Amino acid sequence: MNITLRLAWRNLWRQPRRTWLTIGAMVFSNALLVFVMSLQFGTYELMIDNTLKAFTGHYQVQAPRYKDDAKMRQVVPRAQQISSDIRRTTGLETVAVRSAAFALVSSEDRSYGIQVFGVDPVNEPGVSTIPGLVAEGRFPADYDAPEIVVGSVLARNLMVRPGDELTILGSGRDGSFAAAVATVVGIFDSGVSDMNRSIAEMPIGFFNDVFSMGDSAHAIVVMTPSLAVIEDYRSRLEAVVAGYDDVVLQDWDTLQPGLRQAIQADLSGAFFMYSVLVILVAFSVMNTQLMSVLERTHEFGIAMSLGLTPGRLGRLVILETSLMGVAGMLIGIVVGGLITIWFTYNGFSYPGMDQLAANFNLPSQFYPQVSALTLFAGPAVVFIGSIISALYPALRLHCLHPVEAMSAV
Amino acid sequence: MSAVRCIDLCKTYRQGDQDIKALDHVDMVITQGDLVCLSAPSGGGKTTLLNAIGGLDIPDSGEVWIADQRIDNLSKGALAALRLTQIGFVFQAYNLVPVLTARENVEFVMQVQGVPAGERGDKSQAILEEVGLAGLADRRPAEMSGGQQQRVAVARAIVSRPALVLADEPTANLDSRAADELMALFVELNEHRNTTFVIATHDQRVMAYAKRLIKMLDGRIVDDIEQHAA
Amino acid sequence: MNDLKIIVTLAWRNLWRNHRRTLVMLSAIGIAAWAMIFMTSLIRGMVNEMLRDGIRSLPGHVQVHHSDFRDDPSVGNLVGMTSADIGTALADAGIERYSARIRVPAVISSERESRGVLLLGVDPEREVAIDAIGSSVAEGRTLESIDDNGVIIGRKLAKKLDTDIGKRIVLMSQDPDNEVADRGFRVVGLYEASLVAQEEAFVFAGRATIQRMLRIDDSVSEVAVVGEDYRVVAPLLTSVRAAIGGQDEVLPWMDIDRYLGTMMGVMDGFVLVWVIVIFLALSFGLVNTLVMAVFERVREIGLMLALGMRPASILGQIVVESLFLLALGLVIGNLFAYLSVIPLTDGIDISAVAEGMEMFGASSVLYPELELRDMTTANVVVLVLGLLASLSPAWRASRYEPVEAITKV
Repeated sequence: MNITLRLAWRNLWRQPRRTWLTIGAMVFSNALLVFVMSLQFGTYELMIDNTLKAFTGHYQVQAPRYKDDAKMRQVVPRAQQISSDIRRTTGLETVAVRSAAFALVSSEDRSYGIQVFGVDPVNEPGVSTIPGLVAEGRFPADYDAPEIVVGSVLARNLMVRPGDELTILGSGRDGSFAAAVATVVGIFDSGVSDMNRSIAEMPIGFFNDVFSMGDSAHAIVVMTPSLAVIEDYRSRLEAVVAGYDDVVLQDWDTLQPGLRQAIQADLSGAFFMYSVLVILVAFSVMNTQLMSVLERTHEFGIAMSLGLTPGRLGRLVILETSLMGVAGMLIGIVVGGLITIWFTYNGFSYPGMDQLAANFNLPSQFYPQVSALTLFAGPAVVFIGSIISALYPALRLHCLHPVEAMSAV
Repeated sequence: MSAVRCIDLCKTYRQGDQDIKALDHVDMVITQGDLVCLSAPSGGGKTTLLNAIGGLDIPDSGEVWIADQRIDNLSKGALAALRLTQIGFVFQAYNLVPVLTARENVEFVMQVQGVPAGERGDKSQAILEEVGLAGLADRRPAEMSGGQQQRVAVARAIVSRPALVLADEPTANLDSRAADELMALFVELNEHRNTTFVIATHDQRVMAYAKRLIKMLDGRIVDDIEQHAA
Repeated sequence: MNDLKIIVTLAWRNLWRNHRRTLVMLSAIGIAAWAMIFMTSLIRGMVNEMLRDGIRSLPGHVQVHHSDFRDDPSVGNLVGMTSADIGTALADAGIERYSARIRVPAVISSERESRGVLLLGVDPEREVAIDAIGSSVAEGRTLESIDDNGVIIGRKLAKKLDTDIGKRIVLMSQDPDNEVADRGFRVVGLYEASLVAQEEAFVFAGRATIQRMLRIDDSVSEVAVVGEDYRVVAPLLTSVRAAIGGQDEVLPWMDIDRYLGTMMGVMDGFVLVWVIVIFLALSFGLVNTLVMAVFERVREIGLMLALGMRPASILGQIVVESLFLLALGLVIGNLFAYLSVIPLTDGIDISAVAEGMEMFGASSVLYPELELRDMTTANVVVLVLGLLASLSPAWRASRYEPVEAITKV
C-alpha cells in the first residue's frame, strides 16, 4: 500500500482536535452551501416557471415594435394561419392567439381603465394558468360569446359578481370607436395582486369584433413542454416566423427581462457571499497547514537529509490537505444533503417570506430540491480553495535548509 | 578511488558579532571500507565536516568528492538524489517518522527511492532482520527503546546499499549497553558490506571502535590515527 | 495593576511570536469583518433606498383614508374632514409635513392613446413638504397652486401616450353619482421616478381643480403625513389619529404596503444571520489558532505557574491575546470596509439589471450605506463570540499542573 498516503493520513491525526476543527470549518461551509444553493436554484426555476406559465408563455410572435410600444395597430396579420403553421411545424398543441386593448370598463357603479385581453377559450388554458384559476364562476367557453372574466381585485373595485354586466369602451385597431357590453362569467385569482387588479379577458372572437381586429392579433403565445427544452424549439419557430413579413419571435427573456435580471442580481449577491465563505475556510486551512508544517521543521530537515526533496515534502502537505478536503467535502455534502432533504419534506419559510414570495409568483413555503449542481458545486469550490491555500505552506518548504531545519526544536 | 575526498575546505559562521571558523582548510581522504571517527569537543567542526561530506551544507571554499564525483557544486536536486541513494545518514535523535512503524519507516524511504511496491515488503523485512529487529517491524518509534530506534535508522540508511554511511553522534542518547550494540552493528556492516562509515562523536567508547580516528579542534584536523578495532 | 501590565505586555508579545500565523489570522478576521460590513452596507443601502422610494410613492409615514378606501379606492370613499379643517387640526397638533390629496383612478387620453392611471389632486407646496414623487420635475414646471390648470405626468407615460409638454390631454373619471367627470388639461411638466411602474401611473394636477372636476367640494381621498424617522412611527400615528382620525382609518406605512414593511424586518434579520454565519466560518480557524498557541507554550506556562504566577493571570493572558487579535483584525476590517464604501458614494450602477431590480422594488443604482447599527452588530458579534471562543483554551491553560506542563515533550 502507498506509504506516502498512509503517512499523510496519520500525520493528520497527530493533532486530532486541530484536524477536526479544520474539517469542521469545511463541513460547516459545505453544508451551508448545499442547503442555500438548493434553496436558491430551486427558487429561481420556480420563479421563472410560475411567471411564464401565468401569462407570458415561453415565446411570443409579435409585430416588431409591439414589445416596446404596445400600440393597437402593431398587429400580427393572419394570426390563425401562423398559429396553425407553428402547430404543424413544432408538433406543439400549446399555441394560442391573443390580443390586447386599453379600455374603460364600467360596472353599474364604477369605472376603471384597464387592459382587456382577447383570448382563445380552447387554447388559452394551454399557455396561461389564469383560465384554471377561476375562483368564482367559469371561464368563457365560446369563441364569440360576449363574456368576460376579471381579476379578483378588479372585481372588487368594480363591485361586480358573476352575472353582472360590464360596459367596455375603447378604440379599435383602426382608431374607430369600440363599444360593447359583456357579462361577467367568472372571477379569477392569480395569486399576484397586480394581475388581479389589472387584467380582464374575453373570448377572442368577441374581442376581434368589438375592436375591429379582423384576422389579426397582437401576439401568438407559445408554450413548450418545460423550461429545460425551450431552446430545442427556437430554430423551428424562427423558421416559421421567417416565412412571414413583419413578425418577429420574442423569447421569454426579452418579454420579461426583469426575471433573468432579478436572478442575476440575486446570484451576484449570493456569489459574493459564497466567496467570502470559501475564503474564510481557505484561511483556516492555510493556518492549520502552516502550523502543521512548522511543527515538523526538524522532521522535515531529517527527511531532506535523507534525500527527500522539498517538492516531495510539499506534495505530502498537499496530500494531507486533500485528505482533509475530501473528508470535509463528503461529510459536508451528506450533512447538507440531509438538512436540505428534511426541508424538502417539511418546507422552508422564514417570517416575512410570504409577502416577498407573492411579489415573485412563488409559494409562501418553499421546498428545496437537491440536484447534482447544488450538492457538488459549493463543496467542490471549497475543496479547490483549500488546496490552493495549502500551496503557500507547501511552497515555503523550498526555502527550508536541512541543517537549519534540524537545529529547530 | 577513495570513498571521500575533502580538499581545502573552509566554512565560517557568523554568530552575533563574531566569526567562527567551523572548517579551517581541512584536507582529508577516506578510503572505501574504512570506519572513521571524527572527534572533537562541542563546536569543534565535526558536524560541519560531516554535513559537508554528506552534501547537506556547502562549504565556503574547497572541494568535496564522493567516489569519483565532485559534489560541492551540485544543484540542490542532485544533492538530494545523492543523499537518497548513495549516502546513508544516522542522526543523534528523532531519526524516524513517529507515525510510521519501523517497517514503514524503511519502506517509506524505499518508495521515495523508487523501489517497486512488490519488492518493498521483502526487502524491508530482510534489512530489519539484518539489524536484529525482525520481531519489532510493526512497532512505532514511541514503542521502542532508544537503541532499537537507532537500529531502525541504520536499517533505513543502508537499505539502498549506499557506499557511505554518515552518523552524527549516534550514541549520544543511548545508555552504554545500547551504544555498544549499535557500534557492533556498525562494525558488522562495515565488514560484511564494505560500507564506509564516518561517525562524528565525542564519546570515547565509540572512538575505540574506529579503525581510524581523526581529531579536530576549532575547525582543523589536529590528529589522524590508524588504530585497530576494539 | 502591575499584574495587568505584565499580562498585557506578555499577551501582546506572544501574539507576534509566530508572526506568520498571526498575520494569517488577522487577515482572516479582517476579511470577515470587511465582508460583514461591506455586504451589509450594500444591502442596507438597497433596502433603505427601496423604503425611501416606497414611502415617497405611498407617500408618507402615516396615511388617513376612509375605512373602505383601500378595498374600493374610488371617489365615493372620502376622508371625513375637509382639507381646510385638516389643515387647521394638524397645525394645532404641531404637525407640519402633510399633504391632503385626492386620489382616484382615471383614464388619460392623448391624441392617439389612452391609459389607465392614478389621478392625484394635490397642493404642490404640501407635496414638496412631504417630498412626494412629482413634487419636482425633470422638464417643464411644477404645479404652482391648487388651482393650477396644468398636469404633471411621468416621462415614461408621456412616451407611451405619444405626448409632450405643451400638448393637451383629457382626464376622465367618475363623480360620486357615477357620472362621468372629465376635463382637458395641458401637460406642463414631466417627472422621473425610480420605478417605471410609478412613472407610468401617477398623474398630478391641482387639488382644487380636481375637486371641481369631480364635484366633491373640499373633500379629499387621503392625508399623507411624514414624521422624523420612518422606523419610529407610533408617536406620529397617535397624534394624527387624535387630530384628524375621526371615523377614518389611520395607518402606518408598513401596514399599507406590507411588502415594504416586511422587507425592513427581513433585512434586519438577514444582517444578523449573515454576520453570524461569517463568524461561525471564522470561528473554526480562530479556535484552532488559540488552541495551538496555548499548546505550543505548555512548557512555558508550566514554568510561569511554577514560578508563582496565578492561574487567573494565565487565563487573563490568553484572553487578552485573543482580544488583541480580534480587536486588531476588526480595526483592519472596519477600515477596509470604510475605504471600500467611500469611492462608492456615487452609487454602483447596476442598470444592466434594472428591470430585475424593479421586480424587487429597488432602483438600478446601488448606494452602500454604512449604518452604525450594522457596524456595531458585526463588531460586537465578532468580539464577544470570539472572546467566548477563547475562554475554553484559556481555561484549560490556567488549569495546567506546573510539573506536568514543564516536562511535556
